[in-house]
Formats: sequence, C-alpha cells, structure tokens
Amino acid sequence: MTITKIKKDHLRLIFDRLKDSYKLVGPRVENDVIVLTEMDFHDIPAGYKDLHGKGVYRLSGNKDSNTFSFSLGPDSFKRFLSPPVREIFAFKKSKKGISANVSSKEEKPTAFIGMRACDISALKLYDKVFLEGPVRDTGYDSLKRNSLIIAVNCLYPNGNCFCDSLGTGPEVRDGFDLAITEIQDSFLLETGSSKGSEILNGLTIEEVSDKEMDEKNSRTEDCKKTIKRHIKVNDLPWVIYRNPEHPRWTDVASRCLACGNCTQVCPTCFCNSSYDRLELSGISKKSREISGNKVRAWDSCFSKNFARVHGGNFRPSRRARYRHWMTHKLAYWIEQFGSPGCVGCGRCITWCPVGIDITEELEAIRK
Amino acid sequence: MYDKSIPFEAKIRWIKKETRDTATYAFKITSREIERAYRFIPGQFNMLYMPGIGEAAISISSAPSDHDLTHTIRVAGDVTTAISRLDTGDVLGIRGPFGNGWPLEEIEERDLMIIAGGVGIAPLRSVIRHILNDRTEPRHVKGVRGGKISSPARIILYGSKTPKDIIFRDEFPRYRDAFQTFLTVDKADPEEYWRGDIGLITGMWNKTSFNPLNTVVFMCGPEVMMQSMVKELILKGVPGEKIFISIERNMNCGMGICGHCFFGPKFVCKDGPVFRFTDIEGFLGIKEI
Ligand SMILES: Cc1cc2nc3c(=O)[nH]c(=O)nc-3n(C[C@H](O)[C@H](O)[C@H](O)COP(=O)(O)OP(=O)(O)OC[C@H]3O[C@@H](n4cnc5c(N)ncnc54)[C@H](O)[C@@H]3O)c2cc1C
Ligand code: SF4
Ligand code: SF4
Repeated sequence: MTITKIKKDHLRLIFDRLKDSYKLVGPRVENDVIVLTEMDFHDIPAGYKDLHGKGVYRLSGNKDSNTFSFSLGPDSFKRFLSPPVREIFAFKKSKKGISANVSSKEEKPTAFIGMRACDISALKLYDKVFLEGPVRDTGYDSLKRNSLIIAVNCLYPNGNCFCDSLGTGPEVRDGFDLAITEIQDSFLLETGSSKGSEILNGLTIEEVSDKEMDEKNSRTEDCKKTIKRHIKVNDLPWVIYRNPEHPRWTDVASRCLACGNCTQVCPTCFCNSSYDRLELSGISKKSREISGNKVRAWDSCFSKNFARVHGGNFRPSRRARYRHWMTHKLAYWIEQFGSPGCVGCGRCITWCPVGIDITEELEAIRK
Repeated sequence: MYDKSIPFEAKIRWIKKETRDTATYAFKITSREIERAYRFIPGQFNMLYMPGIGEAAISISSAPSDHDLTHTIRVAGDVTTAISRLDTGDVLGIRGPFGNGWPLEEIEERDLMIIAGGVGIAPLRSVIRHILNDRTEPRHVKGVRGGKISSPARIILYGSKTPKDIIFRDEFPRYRDAFQTFLTVDKADPEEYWRGDIGLITGMWNKTSFNPLNTVVFMCGPEVMMQSMVKELILKGVPGEKIFISIERNMNCGMGICGHCFFGPKFVCKDGPVFRFTDIEGFLGIKEI
C-alpha cells in the first residue's frame, strides 16, 4: 500500500477520470437526507453535518470547510450490489414446456464513492453470504467483481457510531481500491489495488511528508476518541445464548413496532424473498401460456410471515422476532460466518422510529 | 455444472396416488446434460417450481440407485395443490438438489432405526430403498435370506394418522426383507381391517428389541413427535450423537441466502435439513426460536 497526496481541488480530476469507465455511486443530499445515488463531484455533501440520535436524524448544511465532514445516511452499498428488487430469471410456460432465462445486460461497472470502514467490513460479510455458500450468487458476483471502491477514512463519527468496539473502523484497512483521508490542505490517497493506482496515473501526485502523516494519525486518533457509543463483545455469543427467556425481550417487544426499518438500513442484513411476478399481459388463456419473472426482493425477519410454514408460524410474536434479529446479528453470525453480523454503523439506532438501541439492549440482556 | 438458482424442466413420467392427500411423482429431467450431472444423496431435497405460483421444498423419495427420480407430495397450500392437478406428461421446474442428506457413513457398521411420522417417511424412503437396492447383490451371491449373519439390524417405526394415511403401504412387504417394520396409527375405524398398532409411535418400544449403544437413529416427522422420541431414545440409552433428525422450516431460496429457514444459528437448507441431535439440542426446547 502506498500513500500519496493531491491538492484539494484535484479531487475533481479523479471523478472526471472515473466517469469514463464507471457509473459513479455515492453520497448526495435528497430531501434533507444524505442518500446514495448516482452522483458526480459537485454532489458531494461537502460541509454538511449530520446529527444522529436514537430515532433522530438532522442534516445541517455548509457549516464546515471540509469536504468529508458528514457521516452515514440510511443507505448502504447493499442497495447497489444486492438491489432491493432484482430479477433472477424470466420464465415462460407454454405447451412446449417451461423455460427460465437469465438476461445478461452488459452494465457499466460501478465506482462506489466514499465508502466508510464499517461498510467495507459489511461488504466482506456480504461476500461470505453471497459468494461462499453452496451456490455462488452470480448477480452479486458480477456486480461486485467489476466495481471499484473509493473509501473515505472517517474523521467525524456520528453519535450512533460504535465501529471501534467491533474493530471494523473508523480507519479502513483493506478491501478498497483507493482510500481518501482529508487533512487540512490536501487529500491523502492510499492505493489498495492496481486498479486504484491506475486511477492516479498522470495526475499530479505529491509525496506525503512526515508532518502530514502525523496529522493523519492524530486525526484518526481524535476520531476514535469522539466515538461515544460502545458495545462489549467479549462474551458474545454466549451471553445471548444463555438468555433466550430474559425479561428484556418482552420489554423491547412492547416498544418495537416490527416495522423492519432496522433490517432495511443495516448494511449486513441480507434476508430476502423470491417470488413470481406475473403481468396480466403475460397470461394467455387461449394459448395456455404464461410468462413473467422471478424476482428477489429484500425482506425482513420482522415480517409477520417470514417464518410461516403450512400449518403454523415459527415466530408469531414480536418478542420472538426482535430476539431473532438481535440474536442473529450478535450471536448466530459468529457461528455462521465467523464474526458478528454487526459492524457498528449505528444505522439501526438512527432509523428506528422508536429509538431502540442495539447496544443498550445487549447491555440490558447482560443484567 | 448447472446453475442451481435457475430451475430446469422435468416431465412427470408417472403418478401414484398414495393416500387421499399424498401422491408420488416420478420425474424425467428433460435436459440430457443436466440429467447426467444431477447427483443426490438420500435426505436431500429439491425446490419444485410451478411457474407463476411458486416453489416448495420437497424431499427426494427415491434412492440414487433407483431408476426414477421421485417426490412424494402431500397437498398443503398453493404450490402443492397446483402440483396435485398435474398429469402424466406435464412439466414443472426443479432446482436442486439441496441440503446435506442422511449421514450414511454412520450406519455402515451400526444398527439403524428409522423413525417416521406422516409424510416424514418420504426422505427416509430414499434411505430404505438405498439399503434394499444395495443388498440385493450380496444376498443372491450368498443365498442367505436376510444378508450376512453379522449384518447390522435395521428397524422402521412409522406412525400415521389412520390406516388410510399410510404412505408406501404397498411397499412395506418388500421393506420387511431387510427391516423389522412397525406401523402404528393414531386411530383406526372399527370397520377397517387393521392388524397393526394403535397409539403413539412412542408406545412401540416394548415390541422392538434393539441395542441402544449400537444404534443410529434417522428420524423425520412432526417436530413435537421428534422431540418426545428423542427424549425416550436418550432415556433408553441411545447416545445423542447418534440421533439424526430432519427439520422443517420455511424454505425460500434453498441455498443459504434468504434467511427464512433459520433454526437457531443453523440454515436448515444448507447445514441441514438433517442435524445431529447434539448439534442443535440447545435450541430445540426454545419456543419460537
Ligand atoms: C427440507 C424439507 C423437505 C420437505 N419435504 C417434503 C416432502 O417430501 N413432501 C411433502 O409433502 N412436503 C415436504 N415438505 C413440506 C413442504 O415444503 C411444504 O408443505 C410446502 O412448501 C407447502 O407449500 P405450498 O405452496 O403448498 O403451501 P403454502 O402454505 O401456500 O406455502 C407458501 C410458501 O410458504 C413456504 N412454506 C409453506 N409451508 C412450508 C413448509 N412446511 N416447509 C417449508 N416451507 C414452507 C414455501 O415457500 C411455500 O412456497 C418439506 C419441507 C422441507 C423444509
Ligand atoms: S445492526 Fe445496526 S449498528 Fe450493526 S451493522 Fe446493522 S445497522 Fe449497523
Ligand atoms: S427495532 Fe425499531 S426499526 Fe427495528 S423493527 Fe423494531 S421498531 Fe422497527
């Protein structure tokens, strides 16, 4: 990994260069929220500050001369690598038989701009789910393989961040092509791959002085110090396994709306449902033909019928569904994939309409 | 290899009605190439696909050495009802096989007790037929009915609601070539001719004589039945490590990416559906797990 720097106003050049071969996806302000969409350099919410609390989010603009003063919005990059609704195949049933066809569109690869350490860690977990199981998910694979990751080192954590406790941030360590750290007068650039260094070819890049390295390190240290929220993980998963009947589950169930917001914003939640989508025009009674497509859509373990089978529902109560979600995040994941399914991004705390805080709930289970 | 996220076409070769709500279907995979690549072990399942309606997880009820690939399906909801309306020559989609299957290596030198409730016999028929097919050869060579003297004991305990609900009833005489079989029903009509037992499957112990320490159990049926059976088996001295149960949960993708089938930390679709009792023991008693 090499580290270089560019002048602040040269960042635009990197964007210009990326645009030729990539679709740019990154942060942009929409309806007073920082979302992830297709964007360009001028869309970066430079100077914006986002305030996060339990069930609270406020965005205030242009108070800061920094480019990357903001943190995370509700979206994570899973929206693009495993889209909310995706066609798996198109089917047709006729007298001749059944066919299922996968359409392969040649899409421009995506460059993900401004990915934070927690989201990069989440992406590694997504890889384990979608690429390392019994069947490799070809859709995810092709979207991921051609993509480019431009990471940003966090310097201003929000009030709900607790990545430090899980070792998933705030600093990016690997899993990126290029990582940006903003210091007083320039952007420091670490290249994490050959694709990453290619982007810098021909740009005026300068050497980083010892003083600037010190500035980077002290800013990162300051960032860690400003992280207020923490979670204790040394007794996971056992503390949860030991307490399936803890009264706190009933308590949280009385607050939880089972809306599933937490699962939609969580960068590691992957639960989905596949179903057939038929259109009226796809049904012909006369020729006894039907056609449509099989889609896979995000779902949530908070959905009432998520664990329904013929003749019953394994998790009818909200208590069981919240317990299942949190137990999955903080215990099952460890057994299933080798690390907790929480990367400490705090999104579920911000976007829970009733302000349920996973760190607090875990602490309560311990008592 | 073919892509297991995309269904392939299969044609129904024949249908055999087993009971009023259950039938066995034999399938012929249309594509030669896929048919050749398709391999399974007893206890695995396929996702059967009715385009426009959906998919259902259904165990393979034939043995790998059988000529036909069969599924034995009980009508439950949308997909299974739609399948029940199909005729010979009709087609549907199949994805699979999925899941781990029964640990056949465990029974090579040990006694096997098969315990099934209701349609739970379907994945076990695959084991039964596997054993039957396997033993034909040596039996003829040696000319000894029942196999070698030292060959391990094989027992089937099967419980159904009524005599009319017994699946594979016509095959049981053949099963008796290699297995001691015990059938029981919850209740039988007085008018009906029924020589077997009446009562819970758990009440059949006094009839069987088996060596608990040398027995491996393969079990599939309603979860309550399996829970009480496991308790009794352990009381009788069967080691928990030698009890294998096949578990049912909601299946959507069948391949470990949808999250519907969790049983505690286990994906029933890829870590199961067959589990060693001691691996899931801690989660079995928890309500709404
Ligand atoms: C590993 C495994 C093996 C099985 N083997 C057999 C078998 O050999 N024979 C047989 O008759 N049945 C079997 N079942 C049960 C069978 O999957 C359900 O009866 C079937 O899915 C019901 O689908 P449906 O559309 O008719 O019912 P609906 O109630 O309309 O179900 C709609 C959807 O819910 C889900 N679902 C509903 N019930 C179940 C269930 N019990 N298990 C899993 N998902 C469910 C499915 O995604 C289904 O498509 C098995 C289940 C599992 C998990
Ligand atoms: S559980 Fe909450 S804090 Fe943890 S990764 Fe998911 S959204 Fe972020
Ligand atoms: S914890 Fe909060 S966000 Fe999650 S389902 Fe409950 S109410 Fe919704």
